[in-house]
Amino acid sequence: MRVMGVGGGAREHALAWKLSLSDHKPEIFWIAENRNPGIYKICKDNQGELRTGRTTDPKTIVRSARGWGVDMVVVGPEEPGFHGIPDALEKEGIHCIGASQELSIIERSKADLRRLQWENNLPGRLLFRTFKYAREASDFIRKNIDTQPWLQNIVIKPARQSGGKGVKLIEDRLAYLHDDKERFKEAYFDSLQESMAAYSDIEDKILVEEKAWGPEYSLQCFTDGKTVLGTPLVQDNKSAHEFDSGPETGGMGSISGPDMILPFVTREEYDKSLKIVEGIVEAIQKKTGRSYHGMVGGQMMLTENEGPTIIEMYSRLGDPEALNMLAMLKTDIIDVFQAIVERRLSKLKLEFTNEDAVVVKVVAPNGYPEKKDKAKGHPVQVFETNIKRNGCYLFWGNADLQENGEVVTGGSRLLALMAMDHTLPPASARIEKTVSSIQLTDGWGLYHRTDIGSEQLLAKRHDSAERVRRLYKYREEQGTLGRRMEWVPKVGKVDPSQLLLKEMRGPEKA
Amino acid sequence: MPGLVGFYTFGEGRENWDASHFIHYGLSALQGRGQESVSLAVIGPGNALHTLGGKGGVEDFFEKNGTGIPKGFIGIGQTSSYVDDHLVHVKAPYELVLALDGKTDLHENRGEASKLFARQFSQLLHSEKEPLKATSMLINKIGGGYSFVALTHKQELISGRNPLGVKPLETGSVGFDIAVVASETCALDVMGIDHTGPVETGEVIMFTPEDIRGNAPAADAGNFCSYEYVYLARLDSKVNTLPVATVRNNIGRELAKAHPAKADVVIGVPETALPVANGYSQEAGLPQELGFVRTGENIRAALEPTQKERLVGVQLKLNPVKSAIEGKDVVLVDDSVVRGNTLHNTVLNLKRNGAHQVHVRIGSPTLISPCPYGVEIPPRDELVSSSLNEKELANNVGADSISFMTVDELQHAIGLPRQNLCMRCFENGGATR
Repeated sequence: MRVMGVGGGAREHALAWKLSLSDHKPEIFWIAENRNPGIYKICKDNQGELRTGRTTDPKTIVRSARGWGVDMVVVGPEEPGFHGIPDALEKEGIHCIGASQELSIIERSKADLRRLQWENNLPGRLLFRTFKYAREASDFIRKNIDTQPWLQNIVIKPARQSGGKGVKLIEDRLAYLHDDKERFKEAYFDSLQESMAAYSDIEDKILVEEKAWGPEYSLQCFTDGKTVLGTPLVQDNKSAHEFDSGPETGGMGSISGPDMILPFVTREEYDKSLKIVEGIVEAIQKKTGRSYHGMVGGQMMLTENEGPTIIEMYSRLGDPEALNMLAMLKTDIIDVFQAIVERRLSKLKLEFTNEDAVVVKVVAPNGYPEKKDKAKGHPVQVFETNIKRNGCYLFWGNADLQENGEVVTGGSRLLALMAMDHTLPPASARIEKTVSSIQLTDGWGLYHRTDIGSEQLLAKRHDSAERVRRLYKYREEQGTLGRRMEWVPKVGKVDPSQLLLKEMRGPEKA
Repeated sequence: MPGLVGFYTFGEGRENWDASHFIHYGLSALQGRGQESVSLAVIGPGNALHTLGGKGGVEDFFEKNGTGIPKGFIGIGQTSSYVDDHLVHVKAPYELVLALDGKTDLHENRGEASKLFARQFSQLLHSEKEPLKATSMLINKIGGGYSFVALTHKQELISGRNPLGVKPLETGSVGFDIAVVASETCALDVMGIDHTGPVETGEVIMFTPEDIRGNAPAADAGNFCSYEYVYLARLDSKVNTLPVATVRNNIGRELAKAHPAKADVVIGVPETALPVANGYSQEAGLPQELGFVRTGENIRAALEPTQKERLVGVQLKLNPVKSAIEGKDVVLVDDSVVRGNTLHNTVLNLKRNGAHQVHVRIGSPTLISPCPYGVEIPPRDELVSSSLNEKELANNVGADSISFMTVDELQHAIGLPRQNLCMRCFENGGATR
C-alpha cells in the first residue's frame, strides 16, 4: 500500500510517524514546502520519498500522487484544503483524507461558521457582527455599545484566514481606559481593512465577536460524513510566553490525558462538545451537499453564557494537538483512514490509551512570532541520544534539511518535544530535562514554555474552569443558558441575539 | 518607599497604546506606598527615552502636566514616599532608566545607592552580550533588599527581584498585547490586567521586541518583608502569593487569642487596622463598631515626612463616632506603633468622647529598629517602643492597657516559615539609622 502525505510541520511529522507504525506497512511518500528532516527520514525508511513543492497547488499534488501511484492521500494543514487539493485528488479517483474546499469554509471563514450556527440554532455560539469597512465597524460599536454591552468586550478577527493577521482581544470594562481601548481597536479595524482589501471574493472583511473567558480545549474528530468519532481532549497554549503572556502564536505546546478528558473538563462537557461538533458537520454537509471525510475539530471554550462553546473550527487536525492525539491512538491509523474512505466509521472500534498523559512543548527560535525574518536560517544541533534517554520524542516543524545534511530554522515553530507519563507534571518535567538537547550552533536563542503541563498551570486552568462552570450551571438551572439578556435604562429589555438574527435576515429580504 | 509599574506591549498596532495613561492608573493604586513624588519614562517611535518627574501625588502630577506627559507605547513609572525621589537615568555606556524599590548596599544613602546600581547596570549591559545574563549577574553581586524595573534604549524592559526578595514584584498580562510588572497586584487589577504570578526571588524577567526571557529564580524562597503584611501593602493585593486581607484577618485573630481584653466593643484605627479589628472581633466574640470617620483623602500618617504633617493627618483622619464609644470599654486595634503620636491622639480622643476603659492591641511587634531596605521607619530615637516598655507607653498615651504581638505570633499569623520572613525592624540588630 502506498500513502502520500501533504504538509511539512510537526503535525505532519507525527502523521508520518504513526503511518510508519502501521501493521499495513505502507510505503510513505510526502509533499511539503520545506524538507522536514523527520518526514524525510521516515519516507526514506519506508520505501518512499519526500518531495518539496507548493502544497496549495492542485496540479503539483495530483501529478505527484499519480506519478507515485498512491492509494490514499492524507492532507495535514488547512491551506491545501482551502485550495481544493482534496477535490482535485478525488476527481482523479484518488482517495483523500481531508475536508474538501467547500466544507473547509468552517475554518476558512470565521463569519460563515458563526452564521451557520445562528441560522441552524446550534448551541455553543457567540454573538458576532461582520463589517466590510473599518469605519462601519467603529460606527456600529460607538452607536450600540450602551444598549448592547457585549460590544465592550470583543474579539476582533479577520473574517477569513488572512496571512499573518491575528486576533485582538479587547476588554473595555474600565471607563477610565475606554479611550485607550477605542483608539487601539479602531486602528486595528483600519489595518484589517487594508490587508483584506486584496480579497475580492468575500463581502466580510472584519469579524467582531463577543469575548468569552474560560479554559480552552480542542476536540479533534474523525468523520466519514455519517459518523463523527471524538478523540481525547487536548489543550493547546497560544500565548508565546509563560502563564499566557506575550503575543499570539500557532500554539506553544499542548496537554492531554491520561483519559479522554482533561483534568479540568467533565465527561458531560466532553459529550456536549462532541454534539456541538457533530452539529456543525451535519449543518455544513447539508448546506453544501458535500460529504465530509477527514478530520474536523472544535477549538472550544467553557463560557458563562453557553457552557461548551466553539471559538473556531479546524477542518484538519490541530498543530500541535495532533501529536497528543496520535500518541494516544491505539487503533492502527491505516484502519482508521480506510474506514473513513469506505464510510464505515460507525463500525470502527477507535481506541486510545487510558494510561498515559501526554505533554508536547514547542521549541521556537527567538524572534518568533513577531520577527520571523530574524528567527530564520539558524543551524540546529540535536543530541538525539539524550532525547531518547529521557523517553522523549522529537517532531520537526518549521525546519529545513539542507543538501549538506545541516538543518536550519525556518523562522516559525522549529520542533516539538513530546513525553508521556502517568500524569501531566512528570511528563512536563521530562521535557524540561531534555530541552537543552536542542541548540542553535550560531548562538541564536531558542525558547519554549516551561509552564505547560506544570502543577501551577493546571491549578490555574482548574480554577478558571470551576468559576465559569458555576456561572453556566447557574444559567442551566435557571433555564437561561444560551440566552443574552440586558436591561438598558430608558430602552428596557434588550436581547442582542434577536437583534443579531434580525440583522442576519434583513439583507436577504432586500 | 516607591511603588513601581512597568508596561510592555507586543504585536501589531502596539504604537497605538498610551503607556503613560496605563501607568497613571497603576501608580494611583500604589499610592499607599508613597505619594510625595512621581516619575515616569516611556519609549515612543524612534526609540528615544522620555522622562518626567515631579513632586506630589499621582493625580496632581498627571493633571498638572496634562499634555506635557510624554507619550510612548512602553514605559515605567514610580510613585514614592520620598520627596524628590526620581528615576535614575544613565545615558552611557548603555542608556537606561531605573526605578528601584528598596535599597542596595552600595551606599549609606538610598538615592546614591540606587544611582550607583544604575551605573553598574549600564556598564554590565554594555560589556556582557546577553542582557539577561548581565542582569542576573548584577542582582547576585549587589546586596541589599530590592526590586526594580528598568527601561533601555533598545526597547527592553527589565524587571527583577534580588535573591533576598524583601521587596515584592508581580507580573500580569492581558490578551496577546500587554504585559505588566508592578509592586502589587492591586495595580494590575486597576489597569485591567490579569495577574500571572510573582517575580520570584532572584528572578529576572525581561521583555524585548523579540521575546520575554527569564532566568532561573534563586533556589531559596527568600526573606519577605513582614511589614508589607502588617501595613504597607494594599488590602486587595496578594504579596508573595498570600492575600493581604487574609493575613490581616489572621493577625487580628492571633492578637485576640494571645492578648485578650475585657471590653464591650472592638474599634479599629482606619484604614489599615480595620480588617485586623475585624479578625479580633470574630475571634473574641465582641462586636466591631466603626469608631471613626475620615475627612479628606486617605493619608498614610506613618509615611508623612514631618511631625506636623503627621498630626494633621491623624486629626483629619480620625473623627470619632460618639455613639459607638460612649460609656463603653473599648479594645482599640491598630496595625503598628511608630512614634506613638497617632496613638496618643486617638486614645485621648476616645476618652474625651465618653469611652470608659481603652485597651490598645497592636497587630505587630514593637518597632525598634529602622529598616535597612528603605522603608521609612525612622531612626531609633524616634521609635517610641525602643525607649518605653508597654506599661510606660500605656501611661504615656493614656490607655488602660497596651500589648503588642510577639514576633512568633506575627510569623504564625502570616503563615510563612520564620527563615522566609524579614523581621529586622521588630528585632534588635537591625540597622541603626
